[in-house]
Amino acid sequence: MFYQSVNSDTLNTVKDTVANIQDSSGEVFNEIGFNLDNISSNDGILITIVGYIIVFCALMLLYLFISNLTKILIYQQRKRLKASGKDVEEGQELAITGEINAAIAAALFMHFAETHDFENTVLTIKKVQRPYSPWSSKIYGLRQFPRK
Amino acid sequence: MEGVFQFFRFTGFANVTIGHIIMILVGLLFIYLAIKKEYEPLLLIPIGFGILIGNIPFLENVGLQIGIYEEGSVLNYLYFGVLKGIYPPLIFLGIGAMTDFSALLSNPKLMLLGAAAQVGIFITFIAALTLGFTQDQAAAIGIIGGADGPTAIFLSSKLAPELIGAIAIAAYSYMALVPVIQPPIIKLLTTKEERKIKMKPPRSVSKTEKMIFPIVGLLLTTFISPGALPLLGLLFFGNMLKESGVTKRLSDTASKALIDIVTILLGLTVGASTQATTFLTPQSILIFFLGAVSFMIATAGGVIFAKVMNLFLKGDDKLNPMIGASGVSAVPDSARVVQQLGLKEDKSNYLLMHAMAPNVAGVIGSAVAAGILMGFLMDVF
Repeated sequence: MFYQSVNSDTLNTVKDTVANIQDSSGEVFNEIGFNLDNISSNDGILITIVGYIIVFCALMLLYLFISNLTKILIYQQRKRLKASGKDVEEGQELAITGEINAAIAAALFMHFAETHDFENTVLTIKKVQRPYSPWSSKIYGLRQFPRK
Repeated sequence: MEGVFQFFRFTGFANVTIGHIIMILVGLLFIYLAIKKEYEPLLLIPIGFGILIGNIPFLENVGLQIGIYEEGSVLNYLYFGVLKGIYPPLIFLGIGAMTDFSALLSNPKLMLLGAAAQVGIFITFIAALTLGFTQDQAAAIGIIGGADGPTAIFLSSKLAPELIGAIAIAAYSYMALVPVIQPPIIKLLTTKEERKIKMKPPRSVSKTEKMIFPIVGLLLTTFISPGALPLLGLLFFGNMLKESGVTKRLSDTASKALIDIVTILLGLTVGASTQATTFLTPQSILIFFLGAVSFMIATAGGVIFAKVMNLFLKGDDKLNPMIGASGVSAVPDSARVVQQLGLKEDKSNYLLMHAMAPNVAGVIGSAVAAGILMGFLMDVF
């Protein structure tokens, strides 16, 4: 049932689209040409100005909300810190900058990946097997450093 | 012998036109740009290959059910998602689940750059009207300036479905060509000193802010522009999945598997919809031209507005006007272009995070603009 309805919907939409393409390629292309009257007859200026102002207002509202939200959150944070007895000065920046975060993240990464400066010597011990074989004994004489 | 002749009539060689050859070359160019130049390969490969698929000549209208415009063909079913505007909101869901709005939240005034760059949409709307397109078609063409493929497809599916192919191809082409189109405009409108401006590093944003943003963003923008609800609704929903921190599985699916599947279907069908017999018209070429103009105006609009904002900002708060160019919503390409230009002027000037803010604001701005145009032009009463 669902398949049939989708099927007929699709066919109708595509039929309409193709018909539109056929209609419009004849109709619109014939009319193409530079004509400034088209702007006024289609409310072009009105739509442009009002539309652009609305886009601006939408994002301006979002900007105002977010910037005030940040202030409210910082105010609450100050209040919480003061309540817990910590000394917070009035102009003191509470937010941590990206640079400090990056430094903390790098330190944590290095800690967990253990890429520290001082190597643990235990890690450097390596088992070396030198089983004697008369067939390959030459290698000791050729490559081995003298051992004391 | 009759059978051989009939077979020949069905082959591509018997049905090929110059249009098919041109479109196949365009498809090959897209694939070349994607592989060799790495211009938006995730989009250009599906679209380029789709163009090849859509332009293999065959005997049309004899019930073979092969072509994208033929009843009952597989491509025809997949194209349903484009025609009905199903794929774009799903893409927005994935984008929402991938996007980190912290750069925008840490410096919310950059939101205005995302609004400023939408000037391209409206100026191109007027230009298209002047050239004889209908109101609906002009609006659908203008939205190319938003540099947002899914939004362009969504709006044209509602207002001018007959132009979807040309508009989608133009929108995605210009998105892929961001590294070519934007730098000259940015350089033309900024001085060397301006390009060297270092912006103060963004502050860290709390989890609460990140979680509140999708809710407030949805409520504020869609109350103003309900036409953008399918796009913005899913964008902010995807972001909520990411930021809530408790729906990792859903967020992972939306940002990986789902968006990949929809991108494949969208790219392929949009490409295939450029069947030469219906696509290759002087209108399409005009749309391509208007799309380029729209994109350039949008870029210029963002840069100029950033310079205007600088007149009112002091000291550390000054903006590097180049980030205005990322107000077009080609995420993250235009931000990447700004980063590269910044590094070219000063090797220690990293602008990527700053440019991401207007970039994501541009996504919201272009969707709002699409909703507004729908509100103005949809014939519902």
